[in-house]
Amino acid sequence: MAEIQQSTDSSQPDSVVLSSHQLSVFYGEFCAVRDVDLEVRRGEITAFIGPSGCGKSTVLRCFNRMNDLIPGARVEGRVDYHGIDLYGADADAGEVRRRIGMVFQKPNPFPKSIYDNVAYGARVTGIKKHSELDAIVEKSLRGAALWDEVKDRLKTSAMGLSGGQQQRLCIARSIAIEPEVLLMDEPCSALDPIATARIEDLMDEIKQDYTIVIVTHNMQQAARVSDRTAFFTTEVNSESDRRTGVLVEFDRTQKMFSTPVDERTEAYVTGRFG
Amino acid sequence: MAELRKGFHHELDEVKQEVLRLAASTIESIARATNVILSGDLEGADYLIQFDDEIDARSVDLEDRCYQILALQAPVAGDLRQVVALVKMVAEIERSSDLTVNICKAARRIYGHELDPKLRGIIAKMGDQAQQLFAAAIEAFETGDVAKAAALDDMDSYLDGLQRQFVQAILESHSAGHIELQVAIQLAVVARFYERIGDHAVNMAERVLYMITGWLPEHKGAARFKERTGEIPRPPEVD
Repeated sequence: MAEIQQSTDSSQPDSVVLSSHQLSVFYGEFCAVRDVDLEVRRGEITAFIGPSGCGKSTVLRCFNRMNDLIPGARVEGRVDYHGIDLYGADADAGEVRRRIGMVFQKPNPFPKSIYDNVAYGARVTGIKKHSELDAIVEKSLRGAALWDEVKDRLKTSAMGLSGGQQQRLCIARSIAIEPEVLLMDEPCSALDPIATARIEDLMDEIKQDYTIVIVTHNMQQAARVSDRTAFFTTEVNSESDRRTGVLVEFDRTQKMFSTPVDERTEAYVTGRFG
Repeated sequence: MAELRKGFHHELDEVKQEVLRLAASTIESIARATNVILSGDLEGADYLIQFDDEIDARSVDLEDRCYQILALQAPVAGDLRQVVALVKMVAEIERSSDLTVNICKAARRIYGHELDPKLRGIIAKMGDQAQQLFAAAIEAFETGDVAKAAALDDMDSYLDGLQRQFVQAILESHSAGHIELQVAIQLAVVARFYERIGDHAVNMAERVLYMITGWLPEHKGAARFKERTGEIPRPPEVD
């Protein structure tokens, strides 16, 4: 198999926030994705693209140990967060998830008020003072470009918001605990084009403060929003006839969509591959 | 696995075929223009001048189809490079066709004047070489031949050399009293038209290289600018 095409940016070695080294994930005996090497840089948006089953969401979930919650899931290789092994003995999964937040495909607000949704994380960490919580809620909702739309109804149920607003609320809830990294698993796939454009604008605005990794089925979205793109695909194991995800190419987005090096990337982005 | 976006790829192929046909028409025009000037064929000149309108119309249509593809299909990677290359190449072909018209107009102006065999010989060679350059660029485009596309620049030097030779021959012919000054000037301009057709063929070959490899031609001026300033030029900011 061809080597993974990957550009190195050795000029800024300190900018690497997350990196995987020969990362493989198993669900029981089944290898979902194997030997992934990639680096996520600070202040950038990194997009994962590829067909269903290529392992892109699986790799994303490794970045905040969400796979721990799936019975039978097992990780091989390393995932480093600022050089610290996320799966090492001294890494605390709770602390990892505080620093590395996640936004899911389907907006999942708690059945609580808008205010309580955003204040939830802060309360868990022990903040009780109203003035402090108010400040956190306002800052987070402003950060998620939702404040002006909801400031007069903070105490109403979050379930009454539109899908796009709910997703921005989930982003506000994630950034309320001031994580360093935001992982987004197809955050716009349930949204209409306007709500999608709002989320994309928001990503661009907050990427200075939060390093973002996004999994998307929408190649144009990856092209529009991301600085770097990783393309994953599946390989069929001839013995077991099962599919395993592999990273094919990882480079600057502009390069991936204008002059990709690997012909599998070319075939996928131009639609010459189903 | 099955190919997706078949309709889009089919349209892209069709536009490519049309561009090839447009280029083939222009190659024919180059040969006809050379014949016009050598034989004083005024009817042929009129035909080519009118035919250029058709080339213009086809060029506009092809350019528009490329814009439709860009607007509606959002092509990426090799597809994007092909559409961009096609837009640029259509412009090169259209301009080359204009130059054949210019040659015909010059032929009208020198109608009735006898030319030395030496001058006639070089005109024939220039016409032949311009045609060959154009044909090579188009062949490289059709077959995706990187080596052929890369060879165009060298091939063009021969045409440039012919142009210099021709200017020298014009001066000699004029000094010997064989041609008038007006005719000499027209002939010098004709040589320039052939030389420009060669340049357009080289530009087309560069676009073929871009289409296949993603390589953008480094223009000499741009390279000098970068050398001097270490910057990539940007348009001045408007307040």
